[in-house]
Amino acid sequence: MLSYTEKIREIAGRLLQSGAVEMVIGFRAGTVPMMNEPHFAKTPADVQKLVWDSHCGINLANYLTDRKEKIGVLAKGCDSRNIVTHIIENKIKREQLVIIGVPCKGMVDKRKIAMKAETEITEVIEAETTITAKGHGFSKTFEKKDVLQHNCSLCIHRNPVIHDEMVAPPVVEQQGVDRYADVRSIAAMTPEQRWKYFEDLLAPCIRCYACRNACPLCYCPTCFVDESRPQWVGKSLDPSDVRTFHFLRAYHCAGRCTDCGACERACPVGINMRTFTKKLEQDCLDLFGWEVGLDPEVRPPLDVYRPQDPNDFIK
Amino acid sequence: MEHMGIEPGRLQFSWISSAESTKFVEVVTQVTAAIKALGPNSNFAKKMAEVA
Amino acid sequence: MKMITINKSEWADGLQKAAQAYRLFGPVKEKEFHSFKRLQDGVLPDLACLNTRLSPKHLIYPQSEVMFDYTLDESRADHHILKEAARDDSPQAVVGIRPCDAKAFVLVRMNFDTPEYQDPYWIRAYEATTLVGLGCAAPCSSCFCTTAGCGPYHEEGLDVLLADAGNHYLAKVLTEKGAKFVAAAGWKTAAEPQAADRTIAALKQASESKITSFVQTDNLRSTETTDLHNAAFWEEVSFSCINCGTCTFSCPTCWCFDIQDENRGKAGVRMKNWDSCMYPLFTLHGTGHNPRGTKLHRVRQRFMHKLKYFVDKYDRGIHCVGCGRCVRLCPVNIDIRRVCNMMNNFAASGAACAIE
Ligand code: SF4
Ligand code: SF4
Ligand code: SF4
Ligand code: SF4
Repeated sequence: MLSYTEKIREIAGRLLQSGAVEMVIGFRAGTVPMMNEPHFAKTPADVQKLVWDSHCGINLANYLTDRKEKIGVLAKGCDSRNIVTHIIENKIKREQLVIIGVPCKGMVDKRKIAMKAETEITEVIEAETTITAKGHGFSKTFEKKDVLQHNCSLCIHRNPVIHDEMVAPPVVEQQGVDRYADVRSIAAMTPEQRWKYFEDLLAPCIRCYACRNACPLCYCPTCFVDESRPQWVGKSLDPSDVRTFHFLRAYHCAGRCTDCGACERACPVGINMRTFTKKLEQDCLDLFGWEVGLDPEVRPPLDVYRPQDPNDFIK
Repeated sequence: MEHMGIEPGRLQFSWISSAESTKFVEVVTQVTAAIKALGPNSNFAKKMAEVA
Repeated sequence: MKMITINKSEWADGLQKAAQAYRLFGPVKEKEFHSFKRLQDGVLPDLACLNTRLSPKHLIYPQSEVMFDYTLDESRADHHILKEAARDDSPQAVVGIRPCDAKAFVLVRMNFDTPEYQDPYWIRAYEATTLVGLGCAAPCSSCFCTTAGCGPYHEEGLDVLLADAGNHYLAKVLTEKGAKFVAAAGWKTAAEPQAADRTIAALKQASESKITSFVQTDNLRSTETTDLHNAAFWEEVSFSCINCGTCTFSCPTCWCFDIQDENRGKAGVRMKNWDSCMYPLFTLHGTGHNPRGTKLHRVRQRFMHKLKYFVDKYDRGIHCVGCGRCVRLCPVNIDIRRVCNMMNNFAASGAACAIE
């Protein structure tokens, strides 16, 4: 993936110069190890700052919402599916976009690496399939596939589903991935155990809403947790309020979530809130045969009525 | 909801037309009986705000 | 100023004794991260921790705090009276707090304890708290305390400064509160003051030389507020921000809060919850108008408050102690060090003419 950088700069420079777009949204090198910052390029100097490596996990579709310009945007598999969703939901017009597809090999989870490091990591060096973390007096090399974000290790749509340019030939998609082992392990619990499981999961939450804000789907002008007339949820750290936020947010993402992992990645306290959305994702697959964001022409299942929709739950 | 630990049966859905008064009575009776059997909901009942 | 030697073999024992007079808090590792927790039943603070993920500000200024409660239940004698909520202001001590986090309380105090206004909740908790700090032997690469008015052995705000001198700690007792704590722990081996001072000075120098990250703040005060406010760079700085507020919640110096009422049946409470200038709701008026309606406004507010308005108002440096938490935790890598230097060098860069 490292070789993508040059190609990205070439495409971005060309698009800007020809006036096809006013800005190109990508990443620039971060100021701390294993972080890159979303960045817009408008000038040749900005273009030279664009980079690509295994730390570009932030979902760039989030930066397109309601923009009016003509934009070139870098898109991994998951970003491209969120762009499709944005187009379906009228958050951006297809004509405004030049989608620069980036065949993805999975993004690295910096927490996994940090947990396996003896001290603070001060430098990370990436090769094609490995990544080496260095700190004061230690150096450790990991196989990338062992330290991917959990959602990336389960990803079956690494190639952009929609694109105008590609920075490289498509990668081979992962086959035979068991995407829902986590959901099954919860389904095997008793109701009490489940309640407890989610209670423990959410205990560290500080309600910063980074998970919501990192999510391209969460673009409501006023989120239900921020409404004050009427006020739906309390604002303290009360566990029932925290849980209300999380499960309702998950419902709002039903049939829309691409499992890009932006929420988990953003959480400052490391909560795996994908545990909520995965269940809904699986339900959409089982009940409606739905995989989100593959085609801008198909309305999502919760958007349309079909006579064969399952309705056994209604008595 | 059940996935996250709400007891099975606490959440129920019915489709009743405005003309189906008998069905309405039946369903309400059934649901109330079923919920009473489950007992008070302790899980999602907020007590006085708990603060850290 | 007293210097005490605490042999590491007396450490656990002393803390156990102190626990009889104080509620003890300290860094404890839970799953992946350290956080400040109550030290129950002889649990020792993990002093090997680099620093906690979130700051210890909640020990004095909880994220949610009930101020008043009331009941309308007429069978109760105190019905229809809004009374102060019961709270525990018994002595507490934070063991293993870092100098930056202690200094942060000094900055926060400028807001909560002024000649005109005193926040009784904050002040009482602050007065009940003894801060027993540990000098940082191994600062993180994202710490920039030495150029943010602080440092790895900075004493301001601490009651006791501990320095790890191998088989023992040197404890520099800085305040009356500190002396009480040391006495309660029963540590009394006096150290030879000059030798101890020399040891601490050497440790301090060694640690400071390991700090690799710096900010420049010398021009902030002299730069025109409106020029900075109108600077063109805010668009670029704020672009990636998702307005999550992680930076402000994790920051030891951020102090903003919101007041909320909650009631159930006949009883209710009024509480304060942390708020953040990163949230649109923070400045939303009753009319529906929002003077900080875009993320550019909000990001600019955070940096202008920390690095300009505060500097001008108090003349005590920047509203940041350089702990680096926001740098490490921002999900999109917005880095206050970079922004601070941009602001500081703004006038010099001649960009002042680039007003929109
Ligand atoms: S979810 Fe798939 S496409 Fe998205 S970053 Fe991970 S591997 Fe790449
Ligand atoms: S990002 Fe994490 S801490 Fe913040 S609201 Fe979401 S789950 Fe809670
Ligand atoms: S943590 Fe970063 S993204 Fe979140 S509000 Fe602060 S600057 Fe913005
Ligand atoms: S602004 Fe950032 S570096 Fe400064 S004190 Fe707050 S969290 Fe620490």
